[in-house]
Amino acid sequence: MKVVVDQKLCEGNTKCQQTAPEVFEVRDDDKSHLLIDNPPERMREKVKLAAKLCPRQAITVSDD
Amino acid sequence: METESALSLESLNIIGPDHYAKNGYPHREWTYLRKHKPVFWCEYPKTDPFWAITKHADIIQISKQPRLFLNGPRLLVFVNEMGLERSPTPPFRHLLDMDPPDHGEYRAVVSRRFTPRGVRPLQPEIENITRQVLDDVTGRDKCDFVLDVSSKIPLAVIAELLGVPHKDWEQLFRWTNETIGGGDPEFQAGTTAQETMDRSRLGLFQYFTDMVVERMKHPANDITSVVANGKVNGQPIPQFEMLSYYFLLVVAGNETTRNATTGGLLAFIEHPDQWQKLKRNPELIDSAVEEIVRWTTPVIQFARTATEDTVIRGQKIKAGESVCLFYPSANRDEEVFEQPFKFDIGRDPNPHIAFGLGEHFCLGANLARLELKVIFSQLAQRLDHAELAGPVERLRSSFVGGIKHMPIRMKMKPAAAAA
Repeated sequence: MKVVVDQKLCEGNTKCQQTAPEVFEVRDDDKSHLLIDNPPERMREKVKLAAKLCPRQAITVSDD
Repeated sequence: METESALSLESLNIIGPDHYAKNGYPHREWTYLRKHKPVFWCEYPKTDPFWAITKHADIIQISKQPRLFLNGPRLLVFVNEMGLERSPTPPFRHLLDMDPPDHGEYRAVVSRRFTPRGVRPLQPEIENITRQVLDDVTGRDKCDFVLDVSSKIPLAVIAELLGVPHKDWEQLFRWTNETIGGGDPEFQAGTTAQETMDRSRLGLFQYFTDMVVERMKHPANDITSVVANGKVNGQPIPQFEMLSYYFLLVVAGNETTRNATTGGLLAFIEHPDQWQKLKRNPELIDSAVEEIVRWTTPVIQFARTATEDTVIRGQKIKAGESVCLFYPSANRDEEVFEQPFKFDIGRDPNPHIAFGLGEHFCLGANLARLELKVIFSQLAQRLDHAELAGPVERLRSSFVGGIKHMPIRMKMKPAAAAA
């Protein structure tokens, strides 16, 4: 599973970090950063939920 | 709710401003459309035709594709009446009618002021403002909740953010009323809606023109300075776009939060059990705020225009046709919300889309949430009793669901006693 955060869209709303703190971290630049580039398969549901809840729709999840 | 048999696709009207002034939101009609015709072609007099989109999933699908569905060609659906004529060129150019890639560049100029981290330092000031506004009505047994409370707080907050001095707040308040409420007789200071809106916009433009000159010379820690000295694609912001930016911030920062606050208190008056629940469980404030925002959904609609032929829920949409996104309808969607017509401050999950989604997600959402949190926390502590003392007067608009006046009888405790 491949996760990408569009840094131009992200505005640090922190929904992703609240949903999947193992994968996303919002830092001082008010942007979400990936803690793991290819999260393990067992986290798929959580990561997809984070992408769905992102107010800016800045997260894409694809198979890889 | 009346039976739906009284409704038919031929006769229902979901865009006429008179309906909104008289009855509030047409939830009965939207419910009917969600069930029978969720993508519905509308042709009304004096209105360019549009597709009415009423389902939660469809509004999300459209909002996620900002290059297929543009804001620029048609910002919202409005009725050409009372001298309201669509001008060949829009009288402003700001985030609401920009599209990618410009939209993102312009938005980035101020967006860090509105992130969760950006708005957090504002909390003490918002608490002070709210306390003072509530102090001013303490001891009275009646007030107009709109004029005396709900309009004052967001106005003071956005004025502070922009660095507008206190003496000019009343003027700012008039301009924003006239801009949004130009179609309502109460706010028509000119002879037509168009003249009223033009004059208020030009007033705001002139006001900020003077302020920009000053802030370029002496930047302060306010958003006026951020925009005045901001860069887009490495260049200073052109004057027309700059003035439009202030215009947007003033209007958007005022109207929506005011109406969520008024509509929120009205919901609590109509659901006293929920009011008691919040008073007993102050930790529910965050979910209460989300439910107030879902319940009131102050922005009724924005439009998008398709750049190429596409399909929504099996319905073909042709390039150049507009879709009108009815957010309050999406937030009552039976497929998404359990008991959507129940006002429940503990609702969880609450995936409402009152702030929109994606490219144009409300820039001020975090600020609005913080304001509502402070306001309803303090009200829950201090407002011992509230009931309607007269009719609720609604704004004649099918764009923003406004309450102009809401007389209440009440008992407000002093802050000290509440602490």
